[in-house]
Amino acid sequence: MAASLRPAILRHIRLPVRPQGQPVLPSWLSSIRAMSGHGDDHLTREEVVDRVLDVVKSFPKVNPSKVTAEVHFQKDLGLDSLDVVEIVMALEEEFKLEIPDKEADKIDSCPLAIEYIANHPMAG
Amino acid sequence: MSLSTLGYLARRAAQKERVRILYRRALRDTLNWAVHRHLFYQDASDLRERFEANKHVEDLDTIDHLIADAEAQYEKWRHPDPYIVPWAPGGTKFTRNPPPPSGIEIVYDYGKEENE
Repeated sequence: MAASLRPAILRHIRLPVRPQGQPVLPSWLSSIRAMSGHGDDHLTREEVVDRVLDVVKSFPKVNPSKVTAEVHFQKDLGLDSLDVVEIVMALEEEFKLEIPDKEADKIDSCPLAIEYIANHPMAG
Repeated sequence: MSLSTLGYLARRAAQKERVRILYRRALRDTLNWAVHRHLFYQDASDLRERFEANKHVEDLDTIDHLIADAEAQYEKWRHPDPYIVPWAPGGTKFTRNPPPPSGIEIVYDYGKEENE
């Protein structure tokens, strides 16, 4: 009796097949999670370099043709210390960062700025 | 290099750092007070002029006086509710929606299994 019932039942039962392991997200949910900002969307280094150079080049007192990824703000670009403060603040706004005063004061060249921003977990 | 020169240089370096940090805070505060970007540009250049006005002062004690005076002014006119980047302490997102601890899995479609 049970032996004949088993295939009859099995033929009528349908279970959804689902890959094991990763949960399936509805599309609207994944877009919300993307905005939750768990800090896992890191910038690539190339992108950081590009955007840092863009900010420095667009600074009014800077000659854009002189700007490379290795320049020192005061020695190579002829800026004074207050200009450097302004550039660092522009970088903070560009990457939505808040750099503590003492650390921001140490940033005086493109390589340092790129290094700091690329290693910052919240740079966006 | 004599000891007094070293002392002089050290004091100058400390003053320069104080001015840089003061300028940074004042500039940020100017942005906090400005309702619009185009208003901020004018305010920022006014602020810069006030710093530039005392650029060539040489006497150390006068410089200290000027810095202390400027810091007092900054404290007096600080914005009561400054902009803080969302993730920083005091920001709107600070400690909100933290990542789940490792080993805990979120079931995103909880309660919706039947509808598929």
